[in-house]
Amino acid sequence: MDFSPQFISSVSGESALPSNLRLPPNLIGVAPQKRASPSGSDLPVLRRCEADIPAHLAPAQTWLESLGSRDSEPLGVVDLHPDVFSVPLRLDILHAVEVWQRNFKRISHAKVKSRAEVSGGGRKPWNQKGSGRARHGSIRSPLWRGGGVAHGPRGPSSYYYMLPMKVRVQGLKIALTAKLAQDYLHIVDSLEIPTPDPHYLLDLVKHRQWGDSILIVDVGDEFPQNILKATEDMKTVNIIPAIGLNVHSMLKHESLVLTLEAVKFLEKKLLWHDVRYVPLYPFKLPYSDLP
Amino acid sequence: MSVFGGVFRQSSARLFSTVLLLSHAGTCARTRMHAVPKLRELDRWTEKRGVFGVYDNIGILGDFKAHPKDLIRGPVWLRGFSGNELQRLIRKKRMVGGRMLTEDKHSLDKRISFLYRRFNRYGKHR
Repeated sequence: MDFSPQFISSVSGESALPSNLRLPPNLIGVAPQKRASPSGSDLPVLRRCEADIPAHLAPAQTWLESLGSRDSEPLGVVDLHPDVFSVPLRLDILHAVEVWQRNFKRISHAKVKSRAEVSGGGRKPWNQKGSGRARHGSIRSPLWRGGGVAHGPRGPSSYYYMLPMKVRVQGLKIALTAKLAQDYLHIVDSLEIPTPDPHYLLDLVKHRQWGDSILIVDVGDEFPQNILKATEDMKTVNIIPAIGLNVHSMLKHESLVLTLEAVKFLEKKLLWHDVRYVPLYPFKLPYSDLP
Repeated sequence: MSVFGGVFRQSSARLFSTVLLLSHAGTCARTRMHAVPKLRELDRWTEKRGVFGVYDNIGILGDFKAHPKDLIRGPVWLRGFSGNELQRLIRKKRMVGGRMLTEDKHSLDKRISFLYRRFNRYGKHR
């Protein structure tokens, strides 16, 4: 992606970059133009929140866009539940969840042999007294070259731990709020695109200034063939089902694209944890009132 | 001789210290810029790195049919378990000890007895 920064020249009549300007290759371009806020627009509200919103909060609003053509205008405005998309931004929780995601799967296979495991070294190398050399019991003690390691890494070890469920849920909510607040969240009606050509998507993303990397989220197992084919070979545009949403992916990809069904699914799943009872036994065992 | 040597050393030390104070304007660390190794160039968008972390919330977003610890790929006795070395070895012996090779089993048994004695008999924490 190349950004062309706009320079205001003091010489009147010239608006282009000076000819002798050399830009470094890692220059970060100008920030994308801020879009107009959807609250003062004429477009209709196409989706209201299913769950009840507390009386003292107002729903967050954002544009509903379409991937059908490159230059299509926003179709309407979408309401988002404030308890999912406008939570207080606890960066410490976000950090904790990100670190958990990195570490709980980690298994370190580092292992070194101790003095008992190194081959040899059962015999006393020379008599205790009389030889004039230092006293030793085996040639594989940690003092010796080629000997075992005294306190080295031992065996495959795991770094597994679990954060409380509500902390992980809150981490997801905070990440979604942050994406919305920084203008990196885009809601789309469906993922239908006219061609399976990856250039179409790249062009669309560049034209709308969505960012360098996109994470597309939809509910269900099946996605339209066109978008699957288009994103197959693209490294920075990734498509995942809504079950796979997580804080690390949201932080890694610059921009997040959700479909309306994905928004509904996420709101339902994440709001349930605010009103549920404490589990008497793990949720994977059947409860009479849980589906 | 030694007296003069001492006097000279003292005066030279004082001279040197004053010179150092007057002209000392930067850090003492001398970084050899031509020997600084280059950062290794990593592709931050490989297949693995691009989709890292997907399905980590499969429990809370997926009706609790699966748990994130089911995603962990590794030795059987370590999936969804963490403990100190003795706990790991005991678990390994219980789960996999029946099908280990003889020498590995022997080392495992020796290590377990050594750690048991170390944790439970010596030191402050027993």
